Amino acid sequence: MMFQITNAVLLGGHYALIAVGLSFMFQVMKVINLAHGSLAVLAAYGIWLLADRAGLSPFVGVLLVIPPMAVLGWGLQRGLLERAGRGGELLPILTTFGLAIVLDNLMFQQFGADTRSLSPFIGDFAWASWELPGSIFVGKVPVLILLTAILTIGALQMLLARTALGRQIRATAQDPVTAGLVGVDARRISAISSALAMVTVALSGLALGLRGTFDAYAGAPQLLFAFEATVIGGARSLWGTLAGAMVLALAQTFGAMVHPQGFLLGGHLAFLAVLFVRLAAAGGVWHLLKRARA
Amino acid sequence: MSLLQVESLDIRHGQFRAIKGLSVSVTQGEVVALIGANGSGKTTLLRCIAGAARATAGTVHFKGEDITALPAQARVARGLSLVPEGRRLFPDMSVTENLMLGATCDRPGDWSVERVLATFPNLVKRRHALAGALSGGEQQATAIGRALMANPDLLILDEVSLGLSPLVVDQVYASLAAVLTSGTTIILVEQDLARAMRVASRAICLLEGSIALDRPMAQAPREAITAAYFGLGTGVRA
Repeated sequence: MMFQITNAVLLGGHYALIAVGLSFMFQVMKVINLAHGSLAVLAAYGIWLLADRAGLSPFVGVLLVIPPMAVLGWGLQRGLLERAGRGGELLPILTTFGLAIVLDNLMFQQFGADTRSLSPFIGDFAWASWELPGSIFVGKVPVLILLTAILTIGALQMLLARTALGRQIRATAQDPVTAGLVGVDARRISAISSALAMVTVALSGLALGLRGTFDAYAGAPQLLFAFEATVIGGARSLWGTLAGAMVLALAQTFGAMVHPQGFLLGGHLAFLAVLFVRLAAAGGVWHLLKRARA
Repeated sequence: MSLLQVESLDIRHGQFRAIKGLSVSVTQGEVVALIGANGSGKTTLLRCIAGAARATAGTVHFKGEDITALPAQARVARGLSLVPEGRRLFPDMSVTENLMLGATCDRPGDWSVERVLATFPNLVKRRHALAGALSGGEQQATAIGRALMANPDLLILDEVSLGLSPLVVDQVYASLAAVLTSGTTIILVEQDLARAMRVASRAICLLEGSIALDRPMAQAPREAITAAYFGLGTGVRA
């Protein structure tokens, strides 16, 4: 039992690292980036290319992949999301959906159907583990991913709470028009936020490749888990996203203990339960039922 | 030389023409009271000058530069700040954080968080409180302080007294006195005519999107302003 819970917490760290960028973009720009998972896979392929062709360690490779991902995030906001945003609330979501399809298929065309992994490039570290009291073994890679998730969220929260840039990001998130009236360039701040989100996406791409295997279409499940963790955690704080990721991973683990096929179902049930509790708290369930009957 | 020059300004909300070919110029150091009934176009005009609303036609010049197409933050950087109607603070941030946001453009000048707190002493105790938890008077003080943090050359105050008790309005104006006499050019909207006549050096009455009266305050008796306010012909266009 302790073994399962420990592993669920480590898996939660992985989900948190994927979800933090999605949650951040949603909080600041009110955009649900459906290309989030595909972008993580893109980053994973970038790190894999650097390792496979240039023999660079994935831990060095990710440092080289971060700057282009940040530029990509800037361009994504300026070139696509900002324009799409002028067409209404739904258009940015549809745009990112289209972008996900384009990215998935371009990667399939380029890299084919072979699954890839980054673990062959890190030697013994891929299966190294620590022993905890009670002879529970934890893999070094999952622990590293959990720590990266906590550090990433901590750093982003510090940035938001303590710095001038963080204040401007929060002001833009709350009220972009008034932010402009006090001198904040909301367009620039949104682009910077998108770039920051893509930095976390690069890190989650590394985590994806180190933890297991990925292929061109691996983005969709990553997006799904990130989305569920974000919704469970609520949009108030990035620490909530971490908690949401933990709840998701625990629910999946318990689901798998109940039935071999229960892994995904357990997560979905937790997601739906939280969603309905939220709606009920907001008085929305009754409204929803009335509309369904009508 | 005029600090602000508005020429043949037209603003439409769909079919509705909120501002009709309005021209006005404001000189350095003036304190202008903008007077008019609800719906006369005051807020629309001020939001357009500040860059939060688009002009349909016409131009706005500030310090001789055409700013008609500039976004709001670029106007703040040039020294034009608006305290919006309804305060529009960031409710999830503290008073200090709201004030520090005002300094985003980093214009040279002597306004600082300390000086704002010295000007509005009612904020000292509340400096770490969330803006959403403030009383109306404290919110208004924070909103004015936030605009002053940009060290503006032209400060626009929309509806200073809206939703405040008379006692609190007195406090806000007592604190504003230092700003009003500091030589900063100010345009303010004030529903209390007696107060507007006391603090301003010039009166502009807006009626259905056009200027009905524009005179130095000394030559604008109460009757003339009231007539212009209601569009009663007499006293209009002197």
